[in-house]
Amino acid sequence: MTGTTNPNRATPVVAVVPFERVPTTAAKVIAAHVSGYLNLAAETLPPRTIPPDTLDPGRLQYNAASLIQAIEAIPLKNYFKVIALFDVDLFIPLFTHVFGEARQNGRVAIVSLFRLESHADGSSPPSDRVLERVAKIALHELGHLLNLLHCDDDRCLMHFSGGVDTLDQTTFNFCRYCRTALHRALRQGGPVTKPP
Amino acid sequence: MQIMIVDDERIIRESFFHWFQKSGHKVATAASGSKALEKLGETPFDLLFVDIKMPGMDGIELLAAVKETYPETMVIIITAYGSIESAVQAMRIGATDYLLKPFKPDQLSLVMEKVVQQQKRQSEYNYLKGRLEKITRFDNIIGQSSAMTAIFEMISEVAGTDASVLLVGETGTGKELIAKAIHAKSPRANLPFIAINCGAIPDTLLESELFGHQKGAYTGAVQERKGFFEVVNGGTLFLDEVGEISPKMQVDLLRVLEEKKITQVGSRQPVTVDFRLITATSRNLEAQINAGDFREDFYYRINVIQIEIPPLRQRREDIQLLAEHFLKKFCHETTKRVDRISPHASRILNAYDWPGNVRELENAIERAVVLAKSRILNESDFAFLRPPPAAAPPGPSLREMEKYHICRILDQHGWNVTQAAKALEINRVTLHKKIRRYQLKPDDGEKR
Repeated sequence: MTGTTNPNRATPVVAVVPFERVPTTAAKVIAAHVSGYLNLAAETLPPRTIPPDTLDPGRLQYNAASLIQAIEAIPLKNYFKVIALFDVDLFIPLFTHVFGEARQNGRVAIVSLFRLESHADGSSPPSDRVLERVAKIALHELGHLLNLLHCDDDRCLMHFSGGVDTLDQTTFNFCRYCRTALHRALRQGGPVTKPP
Repeated sequence: MQIMIVDDERIIRESFFHWFQKSGHKVATAASGSKALEKLGETPFDLLFVDIKMPGMDGIELLAAVKETYPETMVIIITAYGSIESAVQAMRIGATDYLLKPFKPDQLSLVMEKVVQQQKRQSEYNYLKGRLEKITRFDNIIGQSSAMTAIFEMISEVAGTDASVLLVGETGTGKELIAKAIHAKSPRANLPFIAINCGAIPDTLLESELFGHQKGAYTGAVQERKGFFEVVNGGTLFLDEVGEISPKMQVDLLRVLEEKKITQVGSRQPVTVDFRLITATSRNLEAQINAGDFREDFYYRINVIQIEIPPLRQRREDIQLLAEHFLKKFCHETTKRVDRISPHASRILNAYDWPGNVRELENAIERAVVLAKSRILNESDFAFLRPPPAAAPPGPSLREMEKYHICRILDQHGWNVTQAAKALEINRVTLHKKIRRYQLKPDDGEKR
């Protein structure tokens, strides 16, 4: 795995970018799940620094929309999609917090470990549970990047989970409708290559 | 689901927009209450998220305006400055929910589940309303008033018989529709239904139309022609405006009704005919009999069963139902998107007297739909409905005043002498004397 871009790739590659103190294991788990579930090549890139202006001084949380915008400006054009991993608290103006965020059919998704590292009652879950949660959120957000919508089936990875309890109940599966939509999107998406 | 976000903060609008986009909803945004109302006038929305604090029209005012004009649109109030008072006020006006910004992600999912459930209930309600509408329809006749329900029952009862039916009602009340319904429910349903407006055909032509003529019977009769009595051939003959038929013609018709035989103009050979007769009039035939304009024996022959259709102003509970029916009909015909009639416009329709009855209402809705500029028919779309001009005041004499008053009361009771006499607190004989003395006729009211 390398942090440099590789021009003119034959297959689409998803970049997993850890930010600051995020454990590399979590980034590798995400990359492994992307490869395993979506059959896409995934690379873990070296850690980066969080753009300081994305911190909202009023809420003391990081603005997810601003972070996405900042990551989109990073020259990672050779990657099909980018998943950025944080350990800080993320928000969108509407919500008190978010586990992850991505725009429909966008290129960058962000995921945070911050709220996944504790149960709803405040207790700490085992580390494998945290990694499981972060992988689910990453696959869910990647689904949005591939233009998948929220799913009504509460067992599907594309079902919206607002809390860790509901997230834990979600299985590691896309329902058959979302799976079909996913395959269609991957067929149409193809590799992103730099013009010669 | 069609959702609109109404908030003066761009960042909130965008946040909502991206969030709902992920669930496949169609999302529009508006930065103010007035912009939101403009958009609602153009497109229907299922759900609105409305911020309370906005410059100009605030969220509560917008909620009230939406609930007044688009009662089916759900509104969720969102605010960063929540108070029990504003929450209670919003819920009283009809808000679906009240949320404090920012909210937990779970909270929005729960609210959306509630909204989906409410939408399902609304769809069920609309379905049941549609079913109810079918129940309130009898063939193509619409009405839920007790008077119309009684008429529907009467139609079912008389349809199976061969008795002559006289339909009495003001112009535009739907007499022909009722005649058609009787025919459709009768054993003659598979045979012809022929409607003739006796008031629109000159007497000589009417004779030829009804009885037919032999070749050379008169100038222009270049070939033999069967009349409606023969053409109807076992079906139903509907003579509208029977009060317009001349006394001579009444004699001829009476003979046909009694003998069930006709003789074509220019022929001497009688032909047996079979038909069921339904007649209709907007005039008071009893008054015409008293005035010597209508034959009593013919009246009793056609008036075996009488169905009186009340004018629309006497069954105002049907106005809304009819207006909605015509709205749907003309939207379909003109392919124009008009969703409903505003409550204010409905009040105008309900208050209007509809001298032209259902036909006038139908024409009014058609005109309003054709000229409508928004999805809602408003008060201004019915500005053409003006109250009838006030009657000219009578002269100063007591005689003039009495004549005017009697005529007005007779008009009010459709020239039903018994009812008018009761209203005037005099007996029928006295009223008849006064009608003769003042030479009053049903038309006098219109001329007055």
